[in-house]
Formats: sequence, structure tokens, C-alpha cells
Amino acid sequence: MSIVLTGQKGERHLVMGNEAIARGALEAGVSVAAGYPGTPSSEIIETLAKASTDGHLYVEWSVNEKVAMEVAAAASFAGLRSLCVMKQNGINVGSDFLLHLALTGIRGGMVIVHCDDPGALSSANEGESRHFARMLELPLLEPGDFQEAKDIVKMAFELSEEIRNVVLIRSVTRLSHASGNVVFGDIKPVEKKAHFKHGGSMLDPLEGPMSSLPVPYRHARQQDKLKQAVARFEESSFNTYSGPETPELLVITSSACHLYSQEAVHLLNVADRVGLLKLGTTWPLPPRLVEKYLGMTDRILIVEEVIPFLEENVKVIAAERASNIGPKTFYGKRDGHLPATDEMNPDRVAAAISKILTVDYTPVPEDYAKRAQEVAHLGAPGREMTFCAGCPHRASFWSIHNALQMDARDGFVCGDIGCYSLAVLPTGFNTLKTLHAMGSGVGLASGFGKLAQFGLNQPVLATVGDSTFFHAVLPALVNAAHHQSDITLVVLDNSGTAMTGFQPHPGLPVDAGGHQVPALDIAGICEAIGAEVRVSDPFDIEKTRRTLLELFDIKGLKVLLLKQICALSPEKKSRKMFEVAVDESICLGQECGCNQLCTRIFKCPGLNWDPERQVSRIDEVICVGCGVCASICPSGAIRKKEVASA
Amino acid sequence: MPRIMGSRELLADVHERDLCIGCGACVDICPYFKNHKGKTAQLFPCTLEQGRCYAYCPKAEVDLDALYQATQGAPYSGSPLGDVRQVLAARAGGQLKTGGFQSGGTVTALLTFALKTGIIDAAALTDHKALIPIPRLVTHWKDVAQYSTSKFMAAPTLSSVNMAARQGYRSIGLVGTPCQMVAAAQMRVNSLGKEAHRVPLSLAVGLFCNWALDTRHLIDVLSQKLDISRITRMDIPPPPANALVVDTENGRVEISFSEIKPLIPHTCFICTDMTAELADVSVGMFEGRPGWNTVIVRSETGGELVERAARQGFIETANFPAENLQHLARAGADKKERALRTLIRRKLINNQGDERAAVRMPQDVIDRILKK
Repeated sequence: MSIVLTGQKGERHLVMGNEAIARGALEAGVSVAAGYPGTPSSEIIETLAKASTDGHLYVEWSVNEKVAMEVAAAASFAGLRSLCVMKQNGINVGSDFLLHLALTGIRGGMVIVHCDDPGALSSANEGESRHFARMLELPLLEPGDFQEAKDIVKMAFELSEEIRNVVLIRSVTRLSHASGNVVFGDIKPVEKKAHFKHGGSMLDPLEGPMSSLPVPYRHARQQDKLKQAVARFEESSFNTYSGPETPELLVITSSACHLYSQEAVHLLNVADRVGLLKLGTTWPLPPRLVEKYLGMTDRILIVEEVIPFLEENVKVIAAERASNIGPKTFYGKRDGHLPATDEMNPDRVAAAISKILTVDYTPVPEDYAKRAQEVAHLGAPGREMTFCAGCPHRASFWSIHNALQMDARDGFVCGDIGCYSLAVLPTGFNTLKTLHAMGSGVGLASGFGKLAQFGLNQPVLATVGDSTFFHAVLPALVNAAHHQSDITLVVLDNSGTAMTGFQPHPGLPVDAGGHQVPALDIAGICEAIGAEVRVSDPFDIEKTRRTLLELFDIKGLKVLLLKQICALSPEKKSRKMFEVAVDESICLGQECGCNQLCTRIFKCPGLNWDPERQVSRIDEVICVGCGVCASICPSGAIRKKEVASA
Repeated sequence: MPRIMGSRELLADVHERDLCIGCGACVDICPYFKNHKGKTAQLFPCTLEQGRCYAYCPKAEVDLDALYQATQGAPYSGSPLGDVRQVLAARAGGQLKTGGFQSGGTVTALLTFALKTGIIDAAALTDHKALIPIPRLVTHWKDVAQYSTSKFMAAPTLSSVNMAARQGYRSIGLVGTPCQMVAAAQMRVNSLGKEAHRVPLSLAVGLFCNWALDTRHLIDVLSQKLDISRITRMDIPPPPANALVVDTENGRVEISFSEIKPLIPHTCFICTDMTAELADVSVGMFEGRPGWNTVIVRSETGGELVERAARQGFIETANFPAENLQHLARAGADKKERALRTLIRRKLINNQGDERAAVRMPQDVIDRILKK
């Protein structure tokens, strides 16, 4: 078992930020944890799931983030401590419930951890979840290093129970996925009995019904709770200052930017000139504390990732306290000293500080990353972003693309979120023509499918993964069925939430803790809705294409379920279905009749072009033996032989 | 030498000019072109500068003079019925069970005979599935009669020729329309000159054709009037009839020409050939003599086939009256003139410089057809 779960009090271990957060929750005596997988947040629930075997903790991968919040809130209503985890998009998904929950308040401590992805390294957006704290009027904490990532969770639970409301913790990729030393505290198993008290009066927060009504009354209480939180933040040990008493420049920062700022100060050797105020309690800001440090100097640089949230909130306090502290000059994103998109790094911070203090500094050239990548790629095969060798999605999109081309009515596919989002690129033959939030592809398709009366005569498709199907597709699918929208939904069922690491979902017979649970049948659900349902193996490209073309001729809601396990799944990874080889004497290469179909268009990384011999080859190391390339080869030069299974 | 380009130019010269008839010549050579419900589409771009898709296409840079010279040994003359060795009347003979043919059954009889006697080892014919014409490669003589009726729609039959060549058949037979005979002639010429591209096309039986109908549009129109799954036969009777006659299990439906004409692909209006001039033997209706066909023998192969089939009772022949021949020639000349004017108006003929043409023919032939 992981050291994160077994490590003793006082021990110091190198752990990942997400593991530190999980450890913090265990030390805080969390009873229920729920979340939906999403990079960079997934390891928190995964770590906790491993600790859920002794009966003191219930952990689940919920169907989506809103349901995860509801599951966690139920535990809180019943008096338990609960944790809810998601990536930045998740707050959007759950925000409808959360807006109400913030008015209702909670009983057992409830903490929501949301991990942002500045630079959108693993996302289709660069959303800022910090703004939800302001919008929903909930306190927000941001750990500034790995130790704090653990410790701040305990503080969050205490605060949550003190003010009887949800507390938000925001992490970012470089904190969640990087590792640092953390000194562990104690994990004491807590025996807690759950009971939901609801017999009290409407306004009784401890024993009455839990609802957001009456709203004006609750809203006023909610704002009182925030004031209580601010009072605590004024004294919080998570807000730290280092530097001279009267610095020439005050840097105000939070989260991973704290680390970048420290590094930049060190890099420029300006520790005696620059003060560093790191804030761990970033909403609402503690005004007295901020005023104190603003009073130290006239120049302030605010370092944070993505849009200027901290910067604007600090400026409000500076305006309110102007009569005490006098006029200030602010540097940050609004004046262009720092970019308002993408990840921050020590170089960007150093460049900003050097400009303000007129210190010599040569920033890393803008094309450095590109050049570094070029060097890294020397000797590696030139490859664009691509589906893995043997990925069922390549075969699926091959058939979808070809069916649409053959149909020749300019049909298109509304995409969705998962590995298959890559089908906007050549690896998926540029098949996806819209790409937004989870489930949105089907909602868009449902709309497109009703435009025939305005002359739209294009086949409308949507592709979703199996996990996405349960997460957010069902309402849109029901909408399409009910309104007889003319669409074809293709469910790319690879038996897991593959992109984030094979977390289970309701379509699988196992839960987060590895327990046997009933699996829900996607085809059966679609049939019950009234869709015309077909099932195919995406590796059978002839049947898949034929089935799609048949479905295009049927009016109304059609569903094609393409079932084939992900090539990286543990059950598949270790064995090949086929031995695949190219018969060089038959391979047409660049001749009329082929022109490198397999290595120019299909482009599985398991296939290589040999320019000297003018033939294609199988890369034995990369090929996983799916055999699909044998089906696409026009001359029969690619041959597959079934591997005998043990 | 004809100009031969690649698939990029094919798309520009044929698809973008709305000239593709969906004959199937570019289908099944390579993985890039497919035909679905009468429409040919490219699945992925091919980067080759020269390809068989372009070389075979009957709507891209067809140099009629060179093609007639190479296949018939004489330049393109523009005569109304093309090179004619013999014209006769014919119908299926006693060796073939009668019934089920569109008119005289001569085509079915000739192909059955050719397969049975080993003149050909495979025949590229046209079947249909729920009204959609689909190519069919037939290798047993008993199966030919199943595909006997007229389809009236453009069909990708030539893809079966490509498939047969790939599968190693050595003497392939084909039944097709005039445009398909142009493509078949270009296959026989093998302009790219590679042995691997050789198509052993032993027998090309052409069908008279004034125009075809767009499969998808026809299905749309018919679906609004009847249950297309119950269609048993379609026919376009000779004038003065003025309609497409559709027999269904529930009775007969007539659809007037005014409704049918918009369903003719524009590319049919640039076709100068009514009687499949590049075939070995061409067969059409015998207007005024129901149950008989008009047969034009054009090559030695065609002549020998007709003669042997008649001798062995597969077909029955008769003289073709001179006045009917005159009438046929007038219709052929009219089609040539109409199509030529369209070619000129659409700037698709004898284009100069870098501009590519659909068709090329000598200026004196143009003048003759236009009676200048």
C-alpha cells in the first residue's frame, strides 16, 4: 500500500501534490469522498479509494461532478466530513447545485477541491474556477506548496464546520502533479454515525430541513459566514511574508506562483529589494492584512495564473484603504507585465521584476520551448499528436469519415470530451467539426437534427465516450429522442474513463474501491429511449461503415455502439491479437492503387514507411496487433495471423 | 497522347464541374474513390500527379481522335452512329428462356453465350438493390439473366471491371452505357503504360443511351409517389409515350417527362454518343418492333460474337430496315449536335494552354457536326 496511506506521524516523504491533499483529507477524518475524473485532479480520489477498504471511508467516482457534490453534501447533511474533487470544468458542471448549497449551508465539514489547468495542458479550455468563489460567495483557499497542500485541507474542514458552509480549495497542475517533501500528521480512524436530522424548524441549521429557502434570510446568513471566514483569514498561518521591512517592490502571489516568485527573486538576486506576500486565503481577501503589506511600499506586482483575479481583489482593498496607504502603482496582467493566458513560470516572473526594478535579465527567448522540443525530437520519429497504436478510435473515425465521404451530403460530427477529441486533428481524419463541454456534442447534434425544415440536408452525427455518455449525454439524448431529432450518435465504448486513467463508470461492473457493482447497459438504455440501436466492433471497419450508411437513411434518433477495449487498458496491454507483417513483394507503396494509404493517411504509429525500399513496414515494438491495417491495405500486402491465446 | 493528371485534377475537372456520372471507372482501382447510391466520392486526397482515375474518366481530357485511332484504327469522324460494320435486328433465341427482358433480350443472350462458351470468364453487369443500381461481377452463365432489366440510372458498373482485373480474370466482359464504353476504351488503351495496370477487357457490349437519371434524385421523387421496395419493372416506352412507366406490386404508375427531366445529370448533356460507339457491339431498342433489339456490330470481336450466338440459337437475327436506320442516325446526329453546343457553351471542349478540357476532337469534325 502507498506510503501516503501508511506513513506515520512525523515522517517526511516525497509525495505528489494530489497525494498530499488526499493525505490531508485522511488526517482530517473524512468519511465520504466523491468526484469525477479529470486531469489534473484524478489522483486524489484514486488515492482515497485505496484507503476505503476498512469501512471508515466511502469513496466513489460519481457519474458527474454535480452528482459528486450532491453525494458529498448528503454525507455532510448526515453529519459526516466529506470531500468532493474535480477539475476546473467540474465546478461549472456542479455550480447549479452549489449555488443553492451555498445558501443552505452544511453540517459535517464539506470541502471541494478543484484543480485548474492553466495553459490547458489537458483541457479544452483554460477556465478559472477561482471566480466561482466570488460568485457563489464561498471561502477559497490556495495552498502555496506541497506541505500546505496537505495542511490546508485540515484547516478547510475546520473552517467549514465553524461557518457551516462549503470551503473551496483550488490547486493547479504544477502543484497537483509535481512532488515535494511533506511531513505527515496523524491519521486517527473516526467512528462516526450518520443520521440526517430534519424534524426541526425551517430555519434551524442543525436539525431543520436543508434548503435554500427563505432566500433573503439565508443569503444574509451566508454573508455573515463569509465575514467570519475573513476574520479567521486575517490571522491565518497560510498567509506568509518574506523579505525586507520596506521593500522596493512587493510581490503578492498565491498557489504555484509562490514557488515561481521565490525562484525569480533568487534568480535576480533581489531578495533584499523585493518582499513576497504569499496568500493562502484568496477569497475573500483579509483586508487588514493586505492593507498592512500594501503600506510597506508603493510598487506592487501581482503574480498569478490566468486572469487577474487576485490583482483585481487587491486593487479593491487598495482603493478602500487609499486614505490610509496612499496611491500605489500596480503591475501585473492588466498593464501587460504578465500574460493573462497560459502557465506562469520563474522566467516570466523574473522578466516582470527585472523590468520594474531595471535589473539586467535576459529572459528565455519566446521560441525556446519550440526549439527545445525540436532538439528533444532529434532521433525520435516525426509524429503529430496521435491516437496510440491499436487505438479503437482510429478505426472508428476511419469508418465514420469514410461513411460521411461516401454519403457525400457534407455530413459532420459534433465532438465531445475524451481521447477522441483528438479527431479534430489528422489522426482522426479531421472528423470532428464542433468541440465543447462534456455532452455538448449531443446537445448541438440534437439542435442540428431539427433544421431540416430550414433546408439542412447533412447527416448529423455526434461521438461520445462511454464515460461521457453517463456524465452528460443522457439529457441531450432524451431531448433528441423526444423531439425526433434526426441524428446518429456513435458511442465509442472503450470500457473505461480511458483518458484520465481507466477510472470506472456506471457502464462497468466495478466501482472506485474495486467492489462488484451492477453495470448499466448503454445499448439497452438507448433502446429504452426509443433509438434505433446497432452494435459493431470498430475493428470490423467494413461492417461499421456499412452500418453507418444504413443508419443515415433512417429518420430520427439512431445509436451505433462501437465496442472495443482501449489499447492501453491493463487487460489488453500485454497481449497481441494478431502478428502483423507486410509482404514487401505485394506492397504497392507509392504506386497508383495505393500511394501509401497506411503510412500517409491511416498513420498508425505501428506502421513505418521505408523510403529506401519504398514499402511500408510494421514497427514490432509499437504494433499492438489490432490487425486493422490489414483490413485497409488495398493490395493485401499487410497480413495478420491470429496469436494463439494461452 | 491524351493529357493524364491525378485525382486532384479529377476533382477539379469533373466533380467540381458537376460532370461525374458515377460510371465506376475510378472505383476499386485504389482505396480512395468509392461509389455509394450512384455518387462517386473521394475518401482521402491522393497526391499522385498521374493516376488511372484520370486516365479512365470519360469526362476528363478525352481525346476522341486518339482514342478512336487507338481502339478502332481510324480517326474520330463524328458520324452519327460511329463506326458501323453491320446493323441488324435481333432478339433472344430459343436457347434462352424468354421473358423478363427489357425488350428483345439480346444483351442477356450475348453475355450468356459469351460466358458459356468461354469467350469471357467474368462479366461486369448491373444489378439493383432497392432501386439503387449496383455493380455485379458474374462468372456463371446461368446468372446473367438475373440482371437483365434496364436501370435507367447511372451505375458504377466499371468498378466491377477493375475488381475483376485485380482478382486475376483474364477475359472480362462488360455491359455499359456510351460513357462507360469511353472509359472502357481508355482502360484498353492503358495510357500510363504499366503492365500491372493492364485490363483484359475482351468484350464490351454497349447500350444505346440518350441520358440517365440521377439515382438519388429519382429515389426522392419516386418515394413520394410509391413504395419503392415494391417496384417490379421500369420502362421508358418509345414516343409518342411521354413518361417513365413504373410497375409495382400494387399496380402501374406513370411519371411524366416534365417531372423526370430535372433528374437528368447535367453531365449527360455533354455526351455526344447515343449508340455506344466504342463498344464491340451496341444494342438498343428497335423502335416500332416491340420484342426486338437494334444491334450495331462495330468490331471483329463483336461480329464474331453475334454470328456465333446466332448460329447456336442464342439469338435470332433479322434485317434492319433502311428507314429505321435513317431514323436512328438522325437521332444520333441530333444528340451529337446538342451535346457539342453544350460543350462549347460550357467551355469544356478543346481548351487551350493550361486549361483542361472534358473532350477534344478535331475542328473539322466539330464543323461537320454543327453542319457549318
